[in-house]
Amino acid sequence: MSRPSNFPPPFDANDFVAEPSDPAEERIEVGVLIVGAGPAGLACAIRLGQLLEESPEVAEALGDVPVALLEKGKQPGSHLLSGAVVNPRGLQRLFGERLRLDDIPSYGAVPGEAVYLLTRRAALRIPPPPPMRNHGNRIFSLSQLGRFLAERAEEGGTMILPETSAEKLLVSHGRVVGVRTGDKGRGREGQELGNFEPGSDLVAKVTVLAEGTQGHLTGVAMSRFGLRGEEPQVWELGVKEVWKVARPLDRVVHTMGWPLRAGARYREFGGSFVYPMGEEMLTIGMVVGLDYRDAELSAHDLLQELKTHPKIRRMLEGGERVQWGAKTIPGGGFHALPRRLHAPGLLLCGDGAGLVNIPRLKGVHYAIESGRLAAEAAFRALQRGQTPATALSSYDEALRESFIWRDLYEVRNLRQVFGRGFVVGGALAGAMTLSKGRVELGRMRAEPDADQPLLETGRAAAYPAADGTLTFDKLSSVFASGNKTRDDQPDHIRIERRVPREVAELWAHMCPAQVYELGAEHPDGTVTVELAPSNCVQCGAITAKGGRLTPPEGGSGPEYTLT
Amino acid sequence: MRVLVFLEHRGGELQKSSLGVLAKAASLGDGDVAAVLAGEGAKALAAEAGGFGAAKVWVCEDESVAQPLPQPRVDVLAHVIEEGGYDTVLFANSVLAADVAAGLAARLDAGLNWDLVDVELRDGELVGKRPALQDSVQVDVGWKETPRLALFRAGSFDATPAAAGGEPEVAEVSPAYAEHSTLARLVAQDVEESTGPSIEDADVIVAGGRGLGAPEGFGLAEELAQALGGAVGATRAVVDAGWYPYSAQIGQTGKMVSPKLYVALGISGAIQHKVGMQGSGTIVSINKDPNAPIFEFSDLGVVGDVHEIAPKLTELIRQRKS
Repeated sequence: MSRPSNFPPPFDANDFVAEPSDPAEERIEVGVLIVGAGPAGLACAIRLGQLLEESPEVAEALGDVPVALLEKGKQPGSHLLSGAVVNPRGLQRLFGERLRLDDIPSYGAVPGEAVYLLTRRAALRIPPPPPMRNHGNRIFSLSQLGRFLAERAEEGGTMILPETSAEKLLVSHGRVVGVRTGDKGRGREGQELGNFEPGSDLVAKVTVLAEGTQGHLTGVAMSRFGLRGEEPQVWELGVKEVWKVARPLDRVVHTMGWPLRAGARYREFGGSFVYPMGEEMLTIGMVVGLDYRDAELSAHDLLQELKTHPKIRRMLEGGERVQWGAKTIPGGGFHALPRRLHAPGLLLCGDGAGLVNIPRLKGVHYAIESGRLAAEAAFRALQRGQTPATALSSYDEALRESFIWRDLYEVRNLRQVFGRGFVVGGALAGAMTLSKGRVELGRMRAEPDADQPLLETGRAAAYPAADGTLTFDKLSSVFASGNKTRDDQPDHIRIERRVPREVAELWAHMCPAQVYELGAEHPDGTVTVELAPSNCVQCGAITAKGGRLTPPEGGSGPEYTLT
Repeated sequence: MRVLVFLEHRGGELQKSSLGVLAKAASLGDGDVAAVLAGEGAKALAAEAGGFGAAKVWVCEDESVAQPLPQPRVDVLAHVIEEGGYDTVLFANSVLAADVAAGLAARLDAGLNWDLVDVELRDGELVGKRPALQDSVQVDVGWKETPRLALFRAGSFDATPAAAGGEPEVAEVSPAYAEHSTLARLVAQDVEESTGPSIEDADVIVAGGRGLGAPEGFGLAEELAQALGGAVGATRAVVDAGWYPYSAQIGQTGKMVSPKLYVALGISGAIQHKVGMQGSGTIVSINKDPNAPIFEFSDLGVVGDVHEIAPKLTELIRQRKS
């Protein structure tokens, strides 16, 4: 059977590296340029604000705009989606005495927890495996947290530029000197429409990429500066819904097992989560590793199937779905981390750099901590009044000393063992966790998600039909993400358009937003893939599975408010 | 309440959307309603506005308003509001009206409620209705002070002639134009060629979806539309596929329409399409899939092959009309 990686997308990272091209007097010059208003980028902006307030002379030297932050969504938070049970440590270290945890909008501390192993009809309650214990953690809507942090960042003097995509990495004499923003107002064929606005060069002394999962320029920078880690990065895909419910949920719930299949040949690693959001709402999500093989696997439909389980259905009865969204999660862990998280003039943070602990289902506090450390490294370099090529290496040193590195090292092989199937993998994972990572079972190599040969098992026939109350189709879900992207803009998705049928099937089923459809069949057995790019919620799954997402016009994509 | 409605005209005809707002204002029945018309041929159309409830029509045919540019119109409106002592100014959304409304709000430091779909008098207070949360709810909006400005979605109201309509008083105005108002020049204006009525203004729309099978399938929609004297619309899927121009796209990311009759040919009825046409009077749909969501909000649903049914329907209508 085919592997998606045999059909690489027409994409060359070099096309997204450029010298500044605007005339010198038209370039926008800033001190530190941060890309991405997620927890990492916003923490970086907030920490820089704190440091510059204490050292006005450094701020002075950085010009009119000491800190600028680019966000491709309509506003900060528009593209943020996470579980999210968050370890508060990152926020506490970021704000210190300045802000109490209770002053940050959340849905409170985790009230209790339960883990179930599901079969089609039954649910066996099992003790929470040690990595999944959440005592002391808090429940957030990451989208709401993003908006709150953005206000704090603006109070600290950061200039936030929403609806602006970072399209090209500006590199001059081997050093990152900023980014070029994407054009706006181009038509389907790239022609300039009446409201055309060209992108511009944003030139910075330090550029911080905090783009989150599948960051566009993060990928470009890794190619340009040879930063990729010893193992390839792999991803999980999560799809979640927010529900208004009739009865409050009194605990955070995780499930394993059904509707995923246990056999090793399927490589179906994942599970679900149900978290209360106060008395009136809850969020339910399904996460599945993108190293799966079944061409008909669909995280969206697995979530719909999950909701038909008697245990889950009861939680939702009498409720109403109010939002939906999807996003990938980097799952490669320690061995997939970049060789360095800095390059001349450049720092990498958060999910974009792969700082996620999959066994613990945590990453937000690593994003915040890495943003904070990036701010301190950038500040130290700027304080000395110069930013030579090696000036930012203190960021890597600080990361290696931090709790992020310690945590990720401890669980370094946990994700990979699930490649051996759920039961064996689960047992190995237990042994590794109990020994705090001291048990070495030999290195388990990961393969890129797109290298997995495909299987066809007729899986899609079992997905429930959408009833519009409990279960939903993809298009109405895209609507519930708030996505109203302009249709007549250039296609931002790079894929090989003519592929074997099973590869086209894979993309069509995988995509939670119904971007890919099977078009004309050809005599050689291949099919043309038709695209509806404006459905795209920029989850990034296509980049993991044989294509390449690039940023659409700024302001496109979902408008999450509760996810 | 003293209400002024901004009317637009193009090609010697008053725009239906703005007449709808005028008719609505007149139906509120709280004092006289006036209208303002600016541009070439304004005077000739003033009498017609009377038929939709305008007791007085202010007209301006100055050289400065000959071109459809917003800023000189802001001067005209500011002048008329002062002369006539109006406290409420209503607009029907269009590219021009939105610019004028925004400019006027800035000029007068007045509050503008935009994207309204309805308005009513509640205990003597003007209350606007504005869809929110992707049109799933309507919220009441008000104004803190006068003048109150409101911009309504195109097609919010039917342009029903007023019962007590008659010959309006016509007053010509020629305000002093601010220097910055007359600096912009219209360089070129392109009008998209279309054979039938535009889909925002049409009373009948025949829309086609992927069920038409191929770009040529739109011939069925065009013939039926012609027989019914209506316009042709399309879903996003077929516009994306290049079967029909974007200007005909109806839905969340296309046009919002509310014709009296909406005929859906081979349209499944995804919510993205529904939000663009759910305000239609009567919805008739033909689709071969009995489970298509469109049947949930159709007044008349026909399960069957659109390629067979549509030509017969066209023929029947032609016979009936001849």
